[in-house]
Amino acid sequence: MTQSWIDIKHANVVLIMGSNAAEHHPISFKWVLKAKDAGATVIHVDPKFSRTSARSDFHVPLRSGTDIAFMGGLVKYIQDNDLIQKDYVTEYTNASFIIADSYKFEDGLFSGYDAATRKYDQSQWAFAKDDKGIPKRDKTLQDPRCVYQLLKKHYERYNLDTVSSITGVSKENLLKVYEIYTSTGKPNKAGTMMYALGWTQHSVGVQNIRLGCMIQLLLGNIGVAGGGVNALRGEPNVQGSTDHALLWHIIPGYNAVPTSAWPTLADYQKANTPVSNDPMSVNWWGNRPKYMVSLLKGWFGDKATAENEFGYNLLPKVEPGVDYAMMFVYDRMYQKKDIKGGMIFGHNPAMSFPNTHKVRAALQTLDWLVMGELHDTETSSFWRQPGVDPKKVKTEVFLLPACQRGEKDGTTSNSGRWHQWHFKGQEPLGESKSMGWMLIEIMNRVRALYEKEKGAFPEGILAHDFLKEYDAEEMAMRINGRFTKDVTINDKTYKKGEMVPSFTLLQNDGSTYSLNWCYTGCYPAEGQNLAKRREHTQTPIQAKLGLFPNYTWAWPVNRRILYNRASVDVNGNPFNPELPIIAWQDGQWVGDVPDGPAPPMAMEGGKYPFIMHTEGHGQLFGPGRVDGPFPEHYEPVETPLTKNPFSSQLSNPCVKLPKSDLDLLAAPGDPNYPIVLTTYSMTEHWCGGGDTRNTPYLLEAEPQLYVEMSHELAEEKGIKNGDVIVVESIRGKVEAVAMVTVRITPFQVEGKTVHLIGMPFCFGWTTPGVGDATNRLTPSVGEPNVTIPEYKASLVNIRKADKVTELAR
Amino acid sequence: MPKCIFIDTTRCTACRGCQVACKQWHDHEAVPTLQTGTHQNPPDLNPNNFKLVRFSEHKLDGRVHWLFFPEQCRHCQDNPPCKDAADEFLEGAIIIDESTGIVICTEKTKELTKEQCEEIIDACPYNIPRLNEKTKELTKCDMCIDRVHAGLVPMCVKSCCTGAMNFGEREDMLKLADEHLAYVQKTFPDAELLDADFLGVIYLVSHPREMYHEYAKRETHPLNRADFLASVTKPFRNILG
Amino acid sequence: MATFTRRGFMKITGAGVAAMSLGQLGFDLKPAYAYAKALKIEGAKEVVSVCGFCSCGCEIIMHIKDGKMISSEGNADYPISEGALCAKGAAFYSMHISDKRVLKPRYRAPGSDKWEEKDWNWMLDKIARKIKDTRDKDFILKNDKGVEVNRWESYFQFGTSQMDNEECAVAHQVCRALGGVHIDHQARV
Repeated sequence: MTQSWIDIKHANVVLIMGSNAAEHHPISFKWVLKAKDAGATVIHVDPKFSRTSARSDFHVPLRSGTDIAFMGGLVKYIQDNDLIQKDYVTEYTNASFIIADSYKFEDGLFSGYDAATRKYDQSQWAFAKDDKGIPKRDKTLQDPRCVYQLLKKHYERYNLDTVSSITGVSKENLLKVYEIYTSTGKPNKAGTMMYALGWTQHSVGVQNIRLGCMIQLLLGNIGVAGGGVNALRGEPNVQGSTDHALLWHIIPGYNAVPTSAWPTLADYQKANTPVSNDPMSVNWWGNRPKYMVSLLKGWFGDKATAENEFGYNLLPKVEPGVDYAMMFVYDRMYQKKDIKGGMIFGHNPAMSFPNTHKVRAALQTLDWLVMGELHDTETSSFWRQPGVDPKKVKTEVFLLPACQRGEKDGTTSNSGRWHQWHFKGQEPLGESKSMGWMLIEIMNRVRALYEKEKGAFPEGILAHDFLKEYDAEEMAMRINGRFTKDVTINDKTYKKGEMVPSFTLLQNDGSTYSLNWCYTGCYPAEGQNLAKRREHTQTPIQAKLGLFPNYTWAWPVNRRILYNRASVDVNGNPFNPELPIIAWQDGQWVGDVPDGPAPPMAMEGGKYPFIMHTEGHGQLFGPGRVDGPFPEHYEPVETPLTKNPFSSQLSNPCVKLPKSDLDLLAAPGDPNYPIVLTTYSMTEHWCGGGDTRNTPYLLEAEPQLYVEMSHELAEEKGIKNGDVIVVESIRGKVEAVAMVTVRITPFQVEGKTVHLIGMPFCFGWTTPGVGDATNRLTPSVGEPNVTIPEYKASLVNIRKADKVTELAR
Repeated sequence: MPKCIFIDTTRCTACRGCQVACKQWHDHEAVPTLQTGTHQNPPDLNPNNFKLVRFSEHKLDGRVHWLFFPEQCRHCQDNPPCKDAADEFLEGAIIIDESTGIVICTEKTKELTKEQCEEIIDACPYNIPRLNEKTKELTKCDMCIDRVHAGLVPMCVKSCCTGAMNFGEREDMLKLADEHLAYVQKTFPDAELLDADFLGVIYLVSHPREMYHEYAKRETHPLNRADFLASVTKPFRNILG
Repeated sequence: MATFTRRGFMKITGAGVAAMSLGQLGFDLKPAYAYAKALKIEGAKEVVSVCGFCSCGCEIIMHIKDGKMISSEGNADYPISEGALCAKGAAFYSMHISDKRVLKPRYRAPGSDKWEEKDWNWMLDKIARKIKDTRDKDFILKNDKGVEVNRWESYFQFGTSQMDNEECAVAHQVCRALGGVHIDHQARV
């Protein structure tokens, strides 16, 4: 989230799209309703009418997988009617940038596409630069090669007729949303977007979000009070676990994973440290070498020296171009069978990963599996799942009992990036332990074995500085970081061992360490764990905004609203004087912690507001995404259509598709699977359901797998409310109870009726009689930038069940 | 100082925090349930569910209306029919806590016969009390009287995510209810407060009450024992049930 | 649209609830105690935790008596939730005491059809041995172009966003120390 939860109350329009916020982030609605009380319009755009829709001003049903068409039409509406916030767009976005002649877009494909590799040569989408290496601009936005004009050209095809026909949304509803939402393009109005997995879990997931951001930039809605692009982070600590990089492609603090193309630290730093020749660009990632060296120093301690590249050579290097994401790990496990063992903590892929049949089969190829879990789940017990003979499964499984949240100390990061300390209330029940303890204890033993016996590359393991015993407080201090020797910076001397009070003090010479620069400053001095703060003190401006700077701590540097430098004009005056986030007063910034201390842009030494981008501007043109600089509508990989009205590219040309005998896909418009399936969560259960199905009160409220469908479809299929039905895709079938409802309606798409059904995916066989994995139906289709699977749109058929085997009746 | 809960159903998101919080505070057992084609579960109030969010969906003029109704005992202000009925059989089985106006089924209800309990349940126009077959007690919402006496708000109100549920002095809650009503009526001109004059739990509804569920509405009739027991309750129950 | 939160109540009464006797609050105690149970959280220690589900980060007060949690409810001081909790957060205490939790390490031998309970040391030693033997066998020092890569591809490590930040930092470091490249979690699913 760029905002905080509380700041949502300042929005004039709340657009909830790709999220069912009231059900999945129930507290968010405290703030959405406060916005509504103050006169905001709340719009819910989503395939089904949910508890969110019930509390919105209105709901607009949209065929799953057509968000880009819907929003592309909005971009066209904004440009056709000249509804942009002009100062913001010209000064703070790259609308005025001139694009190199090599960029082209023809019939659904951008320039540089190689059909053999399904990849683009992204260098063809470059900014044109002047002789100083600074991007050329036309602030009148008239140059036909400027981003603003290219954008206009790109979306001219997204007219109301085409958008309505592909999305299934009536023209009247489209116009209603477009008109209301664009009212936030005025400097003193703010619109906010709340999205979640409904945007991300598509083969165009990243571009869905890009387009949302682009609209917000056109309307001047990022960085201002009440405005923002808000990823409602799903899992309890998915913000923090992403910051700390439980992901293959990065290492902590959003630094790229080392690859074999960067064998030395110097190579790595050169390739990953952007350079800007524009003196007004902060180019924040120019600091990367400091963060990287401080991280290495944190990992390798005294063993990290400038001479040995701070231990960089010890790190594993991946191969460039290879995707190591979960989807391909299961593929390799299943097909090559050369993955031998691994550890899974607090995660239930035998339920939550698409094409679950394949995951469940893949796990059986393992020699060993370590699980850290609260409960025995479908993943830990895969060897005794229905239809499997345990005698034939060779895998050794170690199930380590994890303790509950209330039984340990530590922090989690909420969606507004508040870093909250939670305190241990009771000892872990039974012999359960924290996962931190498990990892350290395993590592202690592995290290002891390597010390004693040596073996393969022991230095890789032994050079690391691990705690001897897991201790959350000490880890919090290590994450913040310390000085490793006496250092004088700007006339102030810091002693060896002192905490680093801010990431601006991190160094690239090994004199500081930090396990994650984002969090540096949270523990600025011994005994000052700011995540433990629970104070309500505020300045008047903070009180007005609902900022609580002394309640816990937010990364970065306790900033509560990101990109807040874009909330003021070039002279530092707030666009909305009623709700200033920051303001330049008497030669200094007041309000929230500003995005950098530099004076306003028009003054000497002023800087551009989007400091994380090399060019300093919000990216209407985004050359960094692998599937194109402008979002383009492509159909889901499994689509009820055979033609895309926008181009002859039916689906995303860069989509990632593992290929195996279990990776079957229904053909476009397949008559055997004419119904669109979308999957979702619900308030009462969580993800694969391991934790919540084992909480009896929650199982009581939502006891069994259901499928929501329209009355029209039910009638067509002879299904009554409460009947057990079979939902079938080309990959598998699932039993579920029919919930026939007015909340789902058939769509009119490209001249035909398309039915859509929706199912939760939290019910699994280890809880008797509740049903089993919905994800047995969904395909392994990977979004090209991040390999997130396309859960939200696939094809199925339904029929009444002849006999019931998975559900208690 | 009568206490009062005011529930603005137009703010309810049916997150069911109240339903679960109530169970947890009262250490209630989870009851086995099945999916029958609705999100409402358990299907009805029972001795382990004093609070239940009811769901009902309608399509009117092409627009969907999904209505949520966090059901619980209304804690009738004067002469609660359940108490009146119980008094006929056993003084003190159901009482009103004078300091708060909370209506309580006491442990003494164990001494009532099953038939007597059924009479009492029938007397309630909102069909609230339930007989616990195991303990033989008559059960229903106690407005977390233990918490209220300690100066804490009832668990359901505490849990409410959106301010749909509010607790306080009756006078303050009536005032708040009127404010909410005026606001809601801008969008739903027919919105109303349900039986606010009689009840310690006041609901604000945006739609005709019978659209929520069959017992949301009570027939307007004098709140005296004789009338209730003599004629009203049985036929009323029969009509609806 | 005022909401009656714990904080709100305290403001109205002009003092912390704990500091006031029930009589002072205007309750007539005599009839009350005849049928109202004593407040179970009376005298319990309040410890702050955070709900383990969505990223609203709702804070929870755990009531601790004799070292054991006996109840939980929302923390009214948390500015985002103001004490509220949805169904999942409201079930915090019951989730902790659920008899469905696994409370002892379990081992499943190859081909076996059941779990066996084992002690921690046995489990951890055996896991360390598995890691060492597999890693030693499969470790890749150089890729096919002869570039030093120091990686272990036959290992994976998944999860979890259920971990605290401090645990995540350890988890990532463990994976890279082992040479792991297959690391992923819920952020991608």
